[in-house]
Amino acid sequence: MIFGFDLGSRYVKLATLAEDSFNFYRYETIEFYKEFGRKEQDSLVIDFARLGFGETGKIISTGYGRNTVQIQGGQDIPEIKAHVYGARWQTGLEDFTLLDLGGQDSKVVLVRKGRLLDFQTNDKCAASSGRYLENMAAVLGITLEELSKYHEDPIDLSSTCAIFGESEIIGKIIEGHSIASLAAGVNYTIFKRIKPMLSQLLCDKIIFTGGVAHNGALKNIVEKEMQVEVIVPQYPQYNGAIGCCVYGGSLLE
Amino acid sequence: MEKIGITTTIPVEVIYAAGCIPVDLNNIFITAENPAALVEEAELAGYPRNICAWIKGIYTTVLANREIRRVIAVTQGDCSNTHALMETLHIQGIEIIPFAFPYDRDYDMLKLQIEKLMQVFGVDWEQVAEQKKRLDKVREKVWLLDEKTWRENSVSGFNNHLYQVMCSDFNGNPELFAQEVKAVLEKSTPLPAGDEIRLGYIGVPPIMTDLYEYLEKKGARVVFNEVQRQFTMPFATSDLVEQYRLYTYPYNIFWRLQDIAAEIEKRNLHGIIHYAQSFCYRHIQDLIIRKELKVPVLTLEGDRPVRLDARTKMRIDAFLDILR
Ligand code: SF4
Repeated sequence: MIFGFDLGSRYVKLATLAEDSFNFYRYETIEFYKEFGRKEQDSLVIDFARLGFGETGKIISTGYGRNTVQIQGGQDIPEIKAHVYGARWQTGLEDFTLLDLGGQDSKVVLVRKGRLLDFQTNDKCAASSGRYLENMAAVLGITLEELSKYHEDPIDLSSTCAIFGESEIIGKIIEGHSIASLAAGVNYTIFKRIKPMLSQLLCDKIIFTGGVAHNGALKNIVEKEMQVEVIVPQYPQYNGAIGCCVYGGSLLE
Repeated sequence: MEKIGITTTIPVEVIYAAGCIPVDLNNIFITAENPAALVEEAELAGYPRNICAWIKGIYTTVLANREIRRVIAVTQGDCSNTHALMETLHIQGIEIIPFAFPYDRDYDMLKLQIEKLMQVFGVDWEQVAEQKKRLDKVREKVWLLDEKTWRENSVSGFNNHLYQVMCSDFNGNPELFAQEVKAVLEKSTPLPAGDEIRLGYIGVPPIMTDLYEYLEKKGARVVFNEVQRQFTMPFATSDLVEQYRLYTYPYNIFWRLQDIAAEIEKRNLHGIIHYAQSFCYRHIQDLIIRKELKVPVLTLEGDRPVRLDARTKMRIDAFLDILR
């Protein structure tokens, strides 16, 4: 069995691969470290029995936490590399722009002939990430699923900051805009933040991954504005974890 | 001997000719025990959060080193923040001596600036020329150190950075500094060319302390430090004015790019790390740099004098992956 861990800021995602079939698990990051991890010297020992696995196997990890924790007995690989492996495996494509929007990070990666060619990441600002969407949904009093439905007739938000965005949208609520317009405005704000990165590394197919890829409105917006096909693979949130397994099992090349 | 603060490289020959000691304020700020605290102190004094940390660090550094009463401020060719920095120091009783590198690299204008500086310090061309000879001897040693870095891999990227950056003021004692460099040279042994990634570092020196170390740990090696190398005046000219005209850092980006492109070729670099300081206008030049250079460029941003953060490490890892 191969264990692929993507140690994210919000969730720890685990993909397991045994006899060509994947299984997926997701844990709250803090919970995961508290419940299933134990630090020994410089590495993190994972309690696989407690996670419900009778056997262990090859462990590959990646993600935000990997600079601070190294899983004992495991190998870690760069985050962007894991995502590229995941995206290639999930879509079968070799030339694409990867757009990964996670809990706190946004990345845009250009891949040609399966090779990582260039990339950009957001800079110390979470205004284009899942955290921003969660905050905004809470302010609007709707679920993330509901928020993800709207892309038409967006209100204009200045989109400078995830925190100031909140008071801005409260002002708009008072002005009496519809929830649909407000939600569309929130989704557009994300797009505005990632547009410069996308424009520089654009190719005719975008693979959209990360938790935010569940936001269908955003997919529509990117498609419409960038005039390219946007593909959301079957398991967008587990893309990095899948990439770890793919790497560990040498499933590509 | 009076200590004269400098905000960046200036014709130090003039200061040495006057029998004074130049002190590069950047160097004492960044080697202080707790540089981050110096930045915070400037913020407590009222410096805005969204201003470059180097400026804030220099502010506190000058005030903390009471023996520095005069500061030479580069008012053109370095940083416009320097203007307000000088004004805030002026009201604290520090005497400010302005120096400007002419944007168009005009010979006569530059000569005039140097002569004005000479007037302030009461020295003549003969004395200055003598100091140039003295300092060039020291510089030669550092040029050799740089050559050993890229030709033989025998000097680490960090030492290359460190000893070149110190050529802005020669640590206040050129001969002693030369001895230190000599010791490093003697200890260096050529390494066979391995499969390491050869990187160039361009932009102002990094504010984070562990960048070189991290790159080496990840199998990369910095064999070119752009601005630091410029501080060593690696030009064969006996004319002091010409020397500071060939010096690229204070002039426009295209002049710098010519030097960078030539060194990429010569040193066989695989990629470039462009360092941009948070809130620095030079960040804008990134778009030109990316367009003009023929090798992959990773832009790193640093704000405060702390160690590399997880995100920056992640970006470095991905970049090295591209180059592999
Ligand atoms: S890094 Fe930029 S903003 Fe900071 S002092 Fe230097 S030139 Fe000025």
